[in-house]
Amino acid sequence: MSRTYAVTAVAVVVLATVLVGGFGLRISRTTSDFYVASRTVRPRLNAAAISGEYLSAASFLGIAGLVLVHGPDMLWYPVGYTAGYLVLLVFVAAPLRRSGAYTLPDFAEGRLESRQVRRLVSVLVVGAGWLYLVPQLQGAGLTLKILTGAPGWLGDVLVASVVVLAVAAGGMRSITFVQVFQYWLKLTALLVPAIFLVLAWQGDGSPRITFDEHLSAFRADHPLYATYGLIIATFLGTMGLPHVVVRFYTSPNGRDARRTTVAVLALIGVFYLLPPVYGALGRLYAPELIHGGDADAAVLLLPGRVIGGLGGDLLGALVAGGAFAAFLSTASGLTMAVAGVITQDVLPSRGVRHFRLATVLAISVPLAGSLMVSRVPVADSVGMAFAVSASSFCPLLVLGIWWRRLTPPGAVAGLLLGGGSALLSVAITVSGAVRPPGWPHALLAWPAVWSVPVGFLAMILVSLATQSRIPPGTNAAMTRFHLPEALTTGRHR
Amino acid sequence: MTGAGYAVIVVLALLLFGGGLLLGRRTARPLRTSDVGTPVEHATFETLHTASLAAPPLRAGLTEDSARRSARRLRSLLGTEALCLTDRDGVLVWDGEGDHHGRHVMEQVAGVLETGRDTAFRSDCDDLDCPLKWAVAVPLTVDHRVLGTLVAYAPRESAVLARAAGEVARWVCVQLELAELDRSRTQLIEAEIRALRAQISPHFIFNSLAAIASFVRTDPEQARELLLEFADFTRYSFRSHGDFTTLADELHSIDQYLALVRARFGERLSVTLQVAPEVLPVALPFLCLQPLVENAVKHGLEGAVTSSRITISALDAGSEAEVVIEDDGTGMDPQRLRHILRGEGGRSTGIGLLNVDERLRQVYGDEYGLVIETGIGAGMRITVRLPKYRAGVHGS
Amino acid sequence: MRPLPRYRTQSEIDEQTALGGAYVRSLMRGQLRAGLTAFAVLAAVVGTLPLVFEALHSSAVVWAVLGFAAYPPLTLLAWWYVRRAERNERDFARLVEGRPAP
Repeated sequence: MSRTYAVTAVAVVVLATVLVGGFGLRISRTTSDFYVASRTVRPRLNAAAISGEYLSAASFLGIAGLVLVHGPDMLWYPVGYTAGYLVLLVFVAAPLRRSGAYTLPDFAEGRLESRQVRRLVSVLVVGAGWLYLVPQLQGAGLTLKILTGAPGWLGDVLVASVVVLAVAAGGMRSITFVQVFQYWLKLTALLVPAIFLVLAWQGDGSPRITFDEHLSAFRADHPLYATYGLIIATFLGTMGLPHVVVRFYTSPNGRDARRTTVAVLALIGVFYLLPPVYGALGRLYAPELIHGGDADAAVLLLPGRVIGGLGGDLLGALVAGGAFAAFLSTASGLTMAVAGVITQDVLPSRGVRHFRLATVLAISVPLAGSLMVSRVPVADSVGMAFAVSASSFCPLLVLGIWWRRLTPPGAVAGLLLGGGSALLSVAITVSGAVRPPGWPHALLAWPAVWSVPVGFLAMILVSLATQSRIPPGTNAAMTRFHLPEALTTGRHR
Repeated sequence: MTGAGYAVIVVLALLLFGGGLLLGRRTARPLRTSDVGTPVEHATFETLHTASLAAPPLRAGLTEDSARRSARRLRSLLGTEALCLTDRDGVLVWDGEGDHHGRHVMEQVAGVLETGRDTAFRSDCDDLDCPLKWAVAVPLTVDHRVLGTLVAYAPRESAVLARAAGEVARWVCVQLELAELDRSRTQLIEAEIRALRAQISPHFIFNSLAAIASFVRTDPEQARELLLEFADFTRYSFRSHGDFTTLADELHSIDQYLALVRARFGERLSVTLQVAPEVLPVALPFLCLQPLVENAVKHGLEGAVTSSRITISALDAGSEAEVVIEDDGTGMDPQRLRHILRGEGGRSTGIGLLNVDERLRQVYGDEYGLVIETGIGAGMRITVRLPKYRAGVHGS
Repeated sequence: MRPLPRYRTQSEIDEQTALGGAYVRSLMRGQLRAGLTAFAVLAAVVGTLPLVFEALHSSAVVWAVLGFAAYPPLTLLAWWYVRRAERNERDFARLVEGRPAP
């Protein structure tokens, strides 16, 4: 594969991201255009932005790699990533927007009127954010290694520095347009090569793709349990991911937040039709990856393998650009969200300089993590972040929005027992203390099956035991969460 | 014993248990003696009814009129021969016989008015047949201030009357307090409207209407549109509910304001806007940007400046929104600005700035005050930072 | 005597009186029912699918269902929920404002 094309593509994506981000807003407007300038973000635009931010390295590279190695059972990942938005829609979207919260700690404080709960949620948000950032950086390292043969750490450092520069220099000002751009870029970068790949495959006489029962050591035993663990984590974990929550603030009201979520479902559903194609074709054209380890590279290698020549090089460059867009958008969105929480709840005083410091902090920890921790398949490690989110933030959001009897001690208990146990099992799994065969490993690698009920139960039982601590503003908060906009805005217009 | 026998015993035991329970519940509840009420109850009802009739006049405060209308009811509550209500200056009403006592009342209650303590006194009367031998005077207090007294007269000393007079006086005080509350609420609303009116300068209203009038003949369509903008703008500025609004609404109102200003100044004023759509839902204190824009317009067009440029930008900065309002006008001496923001500027131009600065600090904390960069002839740049979320701040 | 002020339902809700609370709770119940219905459909289908796949043991079926067929129903279910939730809110607004049904 020609390195020049790929490197150029990556450079173009990085540059375009910075330019759209930095200058998208510089096009000033006079007051006669005020209506255009002040128009809130419409559901479809916001949906494309959410999708752009959400489709991470795990989606772009990871799913194809997993399908390649483990077969179609791994398609539960994209289905879970999508269905997570349905659960978010039916339980959380509109009330969360109406709560006015920008981050999850904001929601916790507004609903439970407790600084302690806020602080605890902040710690968990930062933890989940970091867990999610590690695979993004590792994916970037892998991509750069395959494209240029550069040492593995270079890509991690590159993405981290671009994010720090862009965010800290205030270059991500029109973040919505950046993310919309990234969504369409990612879709194009997978769609166009996929069309050529399928054509080439048909040209070869459509050889049959077989999935023999090959299961890696990681999920060898108890595959059914692992599948359920994955389903629960992704279905319930999406609503708590820090960069997802933050984007709902951009919706002008709860009704638009709902419509936005439906559009997101459609947009990422379309995108997820593509990665499995790469996984299946990779089975045929890059079989050595099945046993070779870096299966996540399948998407990057296929265009060169199957098509070859200049066309293959160009398509490979397009895919490489798309992959970098995936790392950049998700990493910058997560870094912004985590840095926001760090400025508000960790650093003592506020200000622009502190936000920059927080940005560096927000990404340097996962960078260190990605360099030190051994590589877990991208999609698997993202799954762990989902598990933590599902067992802590999901109970907090669902009970906080629908249950009046939730108390601060109950929330603390649920967060600590649910989220804490999930975080602990993920840490044990990553550290490699408990090795695969056997139930202990399965239980720790897929904690959601037991940690989500633990989180919910702890929250409910402790709340019931501490009914005297129900926050006084509960009824006001509930009214605000659920009252339609027609009633709250209509009367003073 | 057979199984059927056991079953019969169990059923019987259950019946016995259930019956006992029912009986216990019935006897635990006290039996009512009479369904149409005892004499005590009837007396209570009568008292309550009289009290409720006396209440409405007193809700208007302690005046001659309200005293006159409530005195008879109050006297029948106490069941005395005579009752007198006074304020701090004189007798408001005398109800009952022996009103010649009224001349001396003010001397006798002077102590009560001063100390706020109940007193009893013998009413010295030249007329031997006069039944009013003794009186008790209790203060009517609201907020620890003595507004007046209630004096009840009787043929002889009576502890019961003293106690009853105290209770009635306390009840009257509650009514008067409610009256006070009504009054202060009205005052509050009036003050609020005054404060809001103070934010839109009368000059602006006058100038806008004049500008609109100038279009009526030449460009009726334009005049109509401006009038609608004016109506919208004033409706927003005068709205009485809620302390907070959203950045979108505030910017919309600023746009209408600028449209009205430009109708007057035309090409002399050019305005540039940069608004990141992400920050439009941010909640902020009501009318806290509009005075800053008004300030910029004033500075920009002050003196002999031929044209002025104002830039308003609202940008996304992580967990905050950053609003910058900049003009290239005459600027201000930083020293003088410092005076104004310390509240020492007197009633000059800086009232709007000071007010906004104070409100921002009050809502978000001291680190969120206005940041103003200026110099004489160097224009002015005001930066406002607004957190995207703050507990208790909800735009409506 | 002063006439009593006429309390509108809207202000009952704003001032969080017991009556206002009852209104809001009824809205919440309606919305929760809509959400739970959608969630139950999702959970019932998704909860049994892995077992069905295990029983069929055919990768082609898994491929067809999870790779392609899953997404349109998800979007349709979401769309159904949004329509139901918005209808609930419209009906509620009408109830509060005392407007008759159209």
